[in-house]
Amino acid sequence: MTKFTRRDSIALGLGAAAVLSPLGRFAKAAVPVADVPAPKFEIEDGASLRVLRPAKFVPADEEYFNKNTKKFTDTTGIDVRVDYQAWEDLRPQTAVTANTGAGPDVVLGWTDDPHLYSDKLVDITDIADYLGKKYGGWYPLSELYGKKFGTDTWVAIPFGGTGGPAVYRKSWVNEAGFDEFPKDLDGFLKLCQGLKKIGHPAGFALGHAVGDGNSFVHWLVWSHGGFMIDENQKVTINSNETIEALEYAKALYETFVPGTQSWLDSNNNKAMLAGEIGLTQNGVSLYNAFKKSEDPNIAKLAEDVYHAPMPIGPVGRPTATALVVNAMIFSHTEYPNAAKAYLTFMMEAEQYDTWLTASSGYWSQPLKAYSESAVWSSDPKILVYRDTMKDALWLSYKGPISEASAAVVADYVMLDMVASAATGSATPQEAAAEAERRAKRYFKS
Amino acid sequence: MTDAVQQVAAKPARTGVISWHSTPRRVATIYLPLACFVVVLLFPFYWMTITTLKPNHELYNYKDYNPFFVHSPTLVNVKKLLFDTEYPQWLFTTMSIAIAATVLSIFASVLAAYAIQRLRFRGSQWVGLAIYLAYLVPPSILFIPLATMVFKLGLYDSPFALILTYPTFLIPFCTWLLIGYFKSIPYELEECAMIDGATRLQILRKITLPLAVPGLISAGIFAFTLSWNEFIYALAFIQSSEKKTVPVAVLTQLVQGDDYQWGALMAGALFGSIPVALFYSFFVDYYVSSLTGAVKE
Repeated sequence: MTKFTRRDSIALGLGAAAVLSPLGRFAKAAVPVADVPAPKFEIEDGASLRVLRPAKFVPADEEYFNKNTKKFTDTTGIDVRVDYQAWEDLRPQTAVTANTGAGPDVVLGWTDDPHLYSDKLVDITDIADYLGKKYGGWYPLSELYGKKFGTDTWVAIPFGGTGGPAVYRKSWVNEAGFDEFPKDLDGFLKLCQGLKKIGHPAGFALGHAVGDGNSFVHWLVWSHGGFMIDENQKVTINSNETIEALEYAKALYETFVPGTQSWLDSNNNKAMLAGEIGLTQNGVSLYNAFKKSEDPNIAKLAEDVYHAPMPIGPVGRPTATALVVNAMIFSHTEYPNAAKAYLTFMMEAEQYDTWLTASSGYWSQPLKAYSESAVWSSDPKILVYRDTMKDALWLSYKGPISEASAAVVADYVMLDMVASAATGSATPQEAAAEAERRAKRYFKS
Repeated sequence: MTDAVQQVAAKPARTGVISWHSTPRRVATIYLPLACFVVVLLFPFYWMTITTLKPNHELYNYKDYNPFFVHSPTLVNVKKLLFDTEYPQWLFTTMSIAIAATVLSIFASVLAAYAIQRLRFRGSQWVGLAIYLAYLVPPSILFIPLATMVFKLGLYDSPFALILTYPTFLIPFCTWLLIGYFKSIPYELEECAMIDGATRLQILRKITLPLAVPGLISAGIFAFTLSWNEFIYALAFIQSSEKKTVPVAVLTQLVQGDDYQWGALMAGALFGSIPVALFYSFFVDYYVSSLTGAVKE
């Protein structure tokens, strides 16, 4: 293993040094890697880094992220301090960092953030090109989030995404008359009606649930062909397709367990674990909560928990979304080259694949080569999460990501529209018109 | 008159009518409403306590376990909170910051309130109003400009970032509260002291402040509670895990994505509320007297 000092010029194939470790050898064997020369960076004198990222999904997420970071420090001599922030509190901290020009050098922030602060970020096209060539290319969603809109300049490295397919109890789905999970909307509605009839209804979050609520309503509207804005940022939500989606939501809602209009991200987990619902939409955390439950009665139910992609609507393509984490280097950093070296190191197979594998499907890769990672063959039930970044759409689909589009999502315009139509507090027409009015306020200027 | 009283007294009590001091009336007018208040106010504490003591499988299984009772109490959640996280450190940090910000704010507020109420300089009433209006500015608007100042002063990620920014909302509130309290202290007492040759500062120190102790304690309780529970500045100005305050840190450590560690979270909330509850219970008499009136003329 080569020992680099911070004054050394670092060839960013540093991770290859770790191939000698057992985990590194395992990871390297699984992931196809192209022979691409690593970019070289002159590391700044006295470099040290502060990194801010979302709190762990599972303990192994944090454990392996820290291990990889320590490996970077051991290899390069660059001190790196990683701090963790609760998911919903990460954005205010990112905003403070961006607006004050001080704070952490690297932030692993949420989906839209690189686009909100693109003029305050370091151009990292060089490392994105290198990683893309070496690891089979970036998924389209990765490119969309990583590149400054309308340009080929990379301002963020998508680090991973988490998706929300359908999570269901197989025995109850069978009891409702379905051998397989339905692939179309009609079948899906019939399944929900059947589950209600047998006393194990479905439940999808319609409260202001950042992850689950947004996943469900965007899937629903997009699957019918509705969308908030078009390519030219024109608000198009009040359309016939949206009205159809809302009619469908109304019919679907009648089959739900009571109370979903106030559900946040944790409610469906709790309801499924309690056996109150037989179908919901979630990350792999729910399945793992069953598997790792201290209660043997709940743990054995993990065998009955299955995942499936959400059904495809008239648009004829998957319409799921993903919660993506993007690594950004802020231009206020004194050590941009050290930060680039760090990100590249963390994305190399020797590090990234061990982290991905340890995360047990919580995160899905942004680079195509990692679809061969051992994690995806470790349990066939989590395979559906493998293609999270491959098939997902971005939250402002079909329009560009902008401050206005991020504000519309943050204001839960889509979620409120679906919830009000589904629960009957507004007609589908009224709900769509209200959503249009609210969205237009953000896209006025 | 005396005859009338005697006639009334001689009348036998009407049967079926509840007298004012009868037990049923007291139950209906005092104990029942009081019981309702106690139940409503203490239920969150009860819920926090039983959730802390429940094992996870009880938390999620309403069918086999009554959610209002603990069937198999466990200290696993307490152990997780105290030994698997840096909770004691967060508690100490929160306590230190809250006390320092409270002392600083009360000191500044006493001077401001006394000046506005007693010195009566031109425009003093407007200054009082302006200070109160400053309290109405929401912290969510102020945190980014304040962050710039915090960074420029080199205070980012240090407890002083909070100790010096909390007074921005504590001083207006405490000043407004103390203005009202100083107003209730008879000015004649100060005039007497002036005739005896006391200076303004002597009057403040030896006459006004001793009389204003209930008001100071009341303002102190409010300031301490607001500092203890503050979230947005603590979130924005502190990055290091070990330097975080309780409200921010428990979320970071005990919420993993959409998986909430409810038992440990509730233990954190319960232990976090104990210092505030103790603070209130020790000074409740002063607190009540400050709200019900001060020195009687």
